[in-house]
Amino acid sequence: LPAGLSQWFPALEVLDVSGTGLAEIGAELLSLPCLHTLLAKNNRLGGPGSLPKGLGQSPLARSLRVLNLSGNRFAEVPPALLQLRGLRSLSLGGNRLHSIPPDIQELRSLEFLYLGGNFITAIPPELAKLPSLKYLVLCDNKIQSVPPQLSQLHSLRSLSLHNNLLTYLPREILNLVHLEELSLRGNPLVVRFVRDLTYNPPSLQELAGRTVKTRNVPYAPSDLPENLVRYLSLASNCPNPKCGGVYFDSCVRQIKFVDFCGKYRLPLMHYLCSPECSSPFSSASQSSTSQSESDSEDEASVAAHRMQKVLLG
Amino acid sequence: MEQPVQTETWKAQSLEELVRILHQIFAEDKVSVEEVQALMESYESNPDEWVQYAKFDQYRYTRNLVDNGNGKFNLMILCWGEGHGSSIHDHTDSHCFMKILQGNLKETLFEWPEKKGNGEMAKKSERVLRENQCAYINDSIGLHRVENISHTETAVSLHLYSPPFDTCNTFDQRTGHKHKVTMTFYSQFGERTVC
Repeated sequence: LPAGLSQWFPALEVLDVSGTGLAEIGAELLSLPCLHTLLAKNNRLGGPGSLPKGLGQSPLARSLRVLNLSGNRFAEVPPALLQLRGLRSLSLGGNRLHSIPPDIQELRSLEFLYLGGNFITAIPPELAKLPSLKYLVLCDNKIQSVPPQLSQLHSLRSLSLHNNLLTYLPREILNLVHLEELSLRGNPLVVRFVRDLTYNPPSLQELAGRTVKTRNVPYAPSDLPENLVRYLSLASNCPNPKCGGVYFDSCVRQIKFVDFCGKYRLPLMHYLCSPECSSPFSSASQSSTSQSESDSEDEASVAAHRMQKVLLG
Repeated sequence: MEQPVQTETWKAQSLEELVRILHQIFAEDKVSVEEVQALMESYESNPDEWVQYAKFDQYRYTRNLVDNGNGKFNLMILCWGEGHGSSIHDHTDSHCFMKILQGNLKETLFEWPEKKGNGEMAKKSERVLRENQCAYINDSIGLHRVENISHTETAVSLHLYSPPFDTCNTFDQRTGHKHKVTMTFYSQFGERTVC
């Protein structure tokens, strides 16, 4: 950046230095108090000094709303960036990121996050703590699974996950009530019903815990060692609505198919308390398969009502 | 559309002239695909002439009607944000011309799925279309998906459909199942359409 920039243009609100070959953005940036939009795509940023020191303490930390660093060479999200509390829109598309830092949750005002075209392998659950996030782009990465916590992104309207390594989605994805766009093409999503029959039988502790919970055996903190009180508080309800059971560590992973918009079947991962729980009528058979599929169709019609457009195709 | 007796070589100097010549061509009984494609390609994209139609949406690509060709064709501008793409779709027995006005678009061609098919759809070919190139497709050629694969640049394309249509089928790549959809315009003649 030219020296004296802030003296010539003290009221500068939008600065576009895209495609200028910049390897570093210097301290001149910090003296632009009115700056709300910084576009610096297609440069050579990514090394240690890319962003000026003191960025997090400058007025820009409150005033900067839009930051576009796409098409650069960032191998990690620069920590200084996470101090830009006023940031509404961040693009790091087409860089060399391998991960998303959990501290991304610091960007409390973020509404738009573009991370497509990197080498990201996992999504940290902390990403779900962004209360205003409306548009999340994670396409063209190496993501293998989506954390169920992502369903806490209540404001999410559009989620782009195409061209990743997903084989299924967590069933909690159905809870994203404002989601209108979901792209999933180019993922190795399982197509046929898959039942994971590898099941580790529950421990005695788990069986005892299940009994306490399902029979509502009363207990007080003084009755039990602290670690068991804590253990009992971690019980998860079996998602099968026809089963009142709970489970702790021992559960069956099962993939159910849920129809969206009539034709697209999405594989959603369920955790059930036991293999028998796959249907209200007992054990694994063809009829139980179709029953559990029709169970999933009930919840599917609710979900289809909420999710208007699914760009699977 | 069939071959006319003589084929003109048009050069559209502006978007306005392109529209005018299209009206002239489509007023005839017979229209040549090659003629229209050459005409579309001859227009050198000038953003000043179409910026009023180029309304982007944050979440998905937009369709912005430019001219309704006296009922013979629809001319529209599509705006693609970074990473935006379409589903695999057909063209409801119409002719479709697609010219790039800005940026690049990847077109992936697919075979029609088998009647009883329940497997992954077969890709025929793919290519990246550059600025000012014009592609053509109809249902006998196959189905396609169009995407802006850039993570840094937006893309703008000019589409001509004849006859005009407002419904088509989208296809699930994994199974070949199709689903009829109704298409809407984000804006018409430069004015945002409120749904």
